[in-house]
Amino acid sequence: MKLQEIAERLRLELKTPKVPLEAEVKTGYASDLLSDVLAHSLEGDLWVTRQTHLNIVAIAVMRDLSGILLVSGAEPDPDTVEKALEKTVPIFRTSLPTFEAVGRLYQLGISGKR
Amino acid sequence: MLELSLHIMDLVQNSLAAGATRVEIRIEESLGEDRLVIEIQDDGKGIPKEMVSRVTDPFVTSRTTRPVGLGLPLFKKAAERCGGGMEVQSEIGRGTRVVAWFQLDHLDRAPLGNIGETMGVLITGNPKVDFIYEHRVDGKAYRLETPEMKKALGPVPLNDPAVLDFVRRDIEDGLRNIGAGIFPSVAKLLK
Repeated sequence: MKLQEIAERLRLELKTPKVPLEAEVKTGYASDLLSDVLAHSLEGDLWVTRQTHLNIVAIAVMRDLSGILLVSGAEPDPDTVEKALEKTVPIFRTSLPTFEAVGRLYQLGISGKR
Repeated sequence: MLELSLHIMDLVQNSLAAGATRVEIRIEESLGEDRLVIEIQDDGKGIPKEMVSRVTDPFVTSRTTRPVGLGLPLFKKAAERCGGGMEVQSEIGRGTRVVAWFQLDHLDRAPLGNIGETMGVLITGNPKVDFIYEHRVDGKAYRLETPEMKKALGPVPLNDPAVLDFVRRDIEDGLRNIGAGIFPSVAKLLK
């Protein structure tokens, strides 16, 4: 499923306007420990996290993730958004907590298979 | 905790609960040594000797409202997760010193967070307590002392809302000027 459709289906708020949402997403990963994401995420994963600081963009770039979904209403730091726009990393926001967000993604066919 | 400023808020609350009238918070970032040190020192009532070695056990607490205390255990784990550690020194009647060190450039190190907001809330919420905040990044330093602020403010009390705003901005600007809060490898990667 394309990022655009996931965003529409889950009513996600896009924090990085103009960043393309054409990527096809098949898998996701949920973790707030950056070293864990670096070690275990897969290329193309949609990353679900509560972390909001600049380093999440670095992780997304290094692992070539399809996007970042911030949960529990977390707002990205201003420099996070700025850098995500520059590096074309889509960042979404939802008021849903992690468990609920991941459950809904799973219902859409996004799996966590490694 | 997601930000180091939240740990600081939590630990200073411990100092205040221990009756501290002076709390010193020192942060030192050393890019060369890849090390970040946070030190909180107070003149509170201190922790009994037999308790000091057990303060990082979450089920050991002086609280009466709940059976667990997580401030120091979480701070210690946060430091250890980033190649660091934590030490507590305390003396009854003299006060307590907590010092934690982290690998500065460790990916799992929490960012500094909103130190200005944290200090602003602590200062304006506890106008009778003297706070010293010192932040060093290699050779550069930022320092804020409420005893000095009180002299400069004259009749304006520390809990005036304008003081909160001033502290926030002053710390924010001060930390920006000394280049605080950098993750060197991430900054390099995202250049």
